Parts: sequence; C-alpha cells; structure tokens
Amino acid sequence: MIQLVDLPTRRNEAWKYSDLARAMDERVQFVLRRDRADPHVTSAFACGGVIGALAAQCGRVEELRLAAGEALVRVDRPTYANLEPRLLEVDLAPGARLCRIVVQSDAESGIILDAAHVRVGAGAQFQQFIMAEGAKLARMETKVEIEGEGAGVELNGVYMAGPGRHADLTSSIVHKAPGGTTRQLIKGVARTRGRGVFQGKILVAPGAQKTDARQYHHGLLLEEGAEIFAKPELMIHADDVQCAHGNTAGGLDESALFYMRSRGVLEADARALLIEAFLVDAVPEWAPDETRAEILGRIGAWLRGAPNTWTAGVSPAGALAVQDATERAS
Amino acid sequence: MFDVSNLHVAAGGAEIIKGLTLSVPAGETHALMGPNGSGKSTLAYALSGRDGYEVTQGEAALDGADLLALSPEQRAAKGLFLSFQYPVEIPGLSAIAFLKAALNAQCKARGLEPMSAPEILKLLRAKAAALKIDAEMLKRPLNVGFSGGEKKRFEALQMAVLEPRFAILDETDSGLDIDALKIVAENVNALRGPNRAMLVITHYQRLLDYIKPDRVHVLARGQIAASGGPELALELEREGYDKYLRAA
Repeated sequence: MIQLVDLPTRRNEAWKYSDLARAMDERVQFVLRRDRADPHVTSAFACGGVIGALAAQCGRVEELRLAAGEALVRVDRPTYANLEPRLLEVDLAPGARLCRIVVQSDAESGIILDAAHVRVGAGAQFQQFIMAEGAKLARMETKVEIEGEGAGVELNGVYMAGPGRHADLTSSIVHKAPGGTTRQLIKGVARTRGRGVFQGKILVAPGAQKTDARQYHHGLLLEEGAEIFAKPELMIHADDVQCAHGNTAGGLDESALFYMRSRGVLEADARALLIEAFLVDAVPEWAPDETRAEILGRIGAWLRGAPNTWTAGVSPAGALAVQDATERAS
Repeated sequence: MFDVSNLHVAAGGAEIIKGLTLSVPAGETHALMGPNGSGKSTLAYALSGRDGYEVTQGEAALDGADLLALSPEQRAAKGLFLSFQYPVEIPGLSAIAFLKAALNAQCKARGLEPMSAPEILKLLRAKAAALKIDAEMLKRPLNVGFSGGEKKRFEALQMAVLEPRFAILDETDSGLDIDALKIVAENVNALRGPNRAMLVITHYQRLLDYIKPDRVHVLARGQIAASGGPELALELEREGYDKYLRAA
C-alpha cells in the first residue's frame, strides 16, 4: 500500500489544483509493487514526474519509437478499471509523425493518471488531441521536448467537467532546437461542482531561435459553482521568436448569440449550438473519421445532459483563477 | 409594408433615436443615409430586437404586425432580416450547419415541415449558384477567415435562402473594395422583388450607384431630417451632412 506522503498535495506547485492525496480513499488506493529507489522508477520520474513514478511502481510504462519518416495514428483510452497510472514514452526520429488521440470518458468515481513524454526529432510532427470528461480526479499530462530543428507540435484538447468531476490537462513543451512550431488550443466547460484545470508551460531555450509558439485556453462556466483554473506559463529565453498566448473564461459571446437569433434560431437552441461549436473548434480535422465522429458524439451527448440556463455575457458565480507566469528574456 | 412611427431608442443610457418615422412599401428599396454617430446602426439593432437597445416610445410594424413585442427570432420568423455591418465569426460551426438551423427554425415558427438535410443542401447549392457563390464556402466555419467581400456575400446568400419580407442592410459597403462592392450589390439587386422591401443603410453615396434606391432619407440627430428621390444622395455627396446637423 502506498504511503500517502509519496503523493503530491496542493502544496506541490505542479499539483496545486489537483489534490491527489485527498482524492485517495479506502476504495481508491495504488498498490506499489516496486521501490521508490528502483532505477526504473527514478528514470520514469525523470520523464513523467509523479505520474511516471507511479506508472513505474504500480502501473504501466510503454515505449513507442517511430523510425525516420514513419507515421502512426494512435488512440488511447485511459480507464479506471484497474487503477493503472500510465506513462507513454515516445521517441520520434527525424521526419516521423505521430497523431495521438486520447479519449477519457468513463470513471466517474475513479482516479485516472496518464502521462506522455515525447521527444521530437528534426522535422518530426507530434499532433495530439485529448478529450477529457474527468473523473473523481483525472489528470492527463503531456511533456514534449523538441530536440531537432524545424519540428512541429500540436496539442489540442477539450475538457467537460460535469458535477463532481475533475479534469486536468497539464502540458509542458520545451523548445530546445530552432525553427520549431507549437500550436495549442484547449477548450473546456464546467458544470456545478465540476472543476477544469489547464496548466500549460511553454519554454523556449536559449538558441531555439525562430520558434513560433501559440497557446490558447478558453473556458466556459456553465453553472454556478463551476470552477476553472488556468495557469499558462510562457518562458522565453531566445530573442528571435514569435510567441502568443491567450486565456479567457466566462460566458458565451453575446454578439454571436444575437447573430443566430436574428436568423430565427431560438435562444436556447442558439446557446446549445454555440457551446457545441465552442468545443468542436478544438477537435482536429486530422482525426480519423470514425474517431472524430465518436468525439463529436460524446460532446453532443455531454451537452444534452447539461442544462442550458445561464445568460450570455454574464459569468455565473463560479470560480476562475488565472495565474499567469510569463517571462521573457532581456 | 414596413412602418416605423415616432420611434425613440435608448442605448448605453442615452437617447439615440428621437422620434423617427419611416415607411417602406412592398417592392421598394429605400436608402437611409447619415453621418457617423447619427444612430443608423442603433436603429438597425433596435428594429431587430438586440438586447441593450431599448425602445422607449413609438411603433414598428411589418405587414401590420407589431414587431417591438417580439424576440429577435420571432421577428425573423415574421420576415425581418438584418444584414450585419460586421458579420460574426463562429469557429466550430460550419456555414451550412448555421443556415440549416436558421432555415428549420423559421420553418417551425411558420408551422411548416422541417426540411431534410439533402433538401437543404440542394437548396443552398442552388441559391449559391444563382449568386455565383462557391458552394465550398458553406463547409467552412461561419465567417472565419472569410474576406470582407465574402462575409457580405454570405449575408446576401443567407437572405436568398431565408427569403425575408423586409431586409435591413447595415453598411453593406463597409470594408469592401470597389470590385467586391459591385459583386455584393449584384447579389443584393438579384434579391429585389415586388414582394420584398429593403432599407439600405450607408453613409456614402457610392453604394447607391450600384443599389439604386427608390427613396433616400437623411438621418440626423435621431430623426429623419429630409427625404427625397435618388438625387438627394447626390446632393449629400456634394454638400455633406453639415446643413442637416445645423438645421436640426
């Protein structure tokens, strides 16, 4: 049985909004099979942090290597069934392309921990889309290291935190080589007692000139008592780069609502369509047709189960915290 | 057909429209001209029922039916259409899905059977072809990445599909170069007819070279300061709005 002291608490900055120790109870316990000092565990911790260490101790660590020019589409479905923290270690050789889709849609009362650590070679592409419906606590972490020149990264995601659910999308992208591109668009909605968390770090190392990185996170609070926490972090240590980020949370766009109503669409229907469009915007075109259809279906089903009562342009009395930590060289 | 009488509108805590009276009969196209800040867009929004534009006094009716008591969507179902000065971009919603929602909502409000997806697609393709609009545009997210001309042409396509009785065109010429202006004007002219009336809002005479109005009205200080034939627009182009601002 794991010692709770091994788990991060909210005092741990990276786990500030996702209190793992508190989410554990007698029904939800990890059973450790390896020692913390085991070299497998320490190396997994180095790659995948806390989730990596837990995956090495009591879950699953998987390695994936794509050779030069190789392309793969992969769909992951983290589940609660056997409470198995997972770490996926990916190595993309120059010119390789990995499209990864993560669909997290069950596990109302469980804990889901999923981490991917991706090293991207020159000219390689890593494109990822995560759909998270949350769980008692669900955290999907993505750590990307751009090691070769001219690599491309896309990290999109949608979270839908229903009542009592917690969905955490955390990512870190380190540009170590020049000419890399990052595109990140995360959209999320939360209902009462639902909590959405977005933590996104982009670090541009000295020497990673001509980096072009854009990160956007937009959240909609659907009911009173909904919570969205966002922590965008942009750290730029090179001087010839283009970086942009944006972060919003609140209600629907009032002008879009009026536009639709002026065409005859009933107010309630216009709201439903706009919320759906808001989320669908982050679903990538490159997703295989049937997976895309499944994702759009899950979004539609989730929204049909949600009420549609709040007023456009007015945020309900939910909590929103944005901790913006942007640093720029010189 | 469209009658406004002694209309007063307040927005942002100030009275902007101060007793405006205007009638546009079926089959006619009228121009409403006025300087920036004269209340042209306020009038368009108030007539279409936008929140924040409060009618404090007066009447507005379409085919004799009071519009002011109705929601924006009910006004649309009665046959009112506003072509926006700045059409709104909606990422994640295709133009076709937007039009489908609008069309079927109006069918429902009028007690008609909803149209099936293939029927709608066929209708949209036919209307787009008639206005020489590339049907590929329908698959793109609504107004996202559309040029100024494309946005205004898509407004015209929406009008063609929804077949309103009365259309208000708010600054349709803004943001268009002369070639785009000609194309949009052609689209609008194709939609004129004996059963439809239009109010074209603009502050330049230029648009009226291409959409020729039956009557021209000058809006100054919240009221119609003058009305006349097409020659009034030419006079305004020559002499400006100054005299109406002072006279009022």
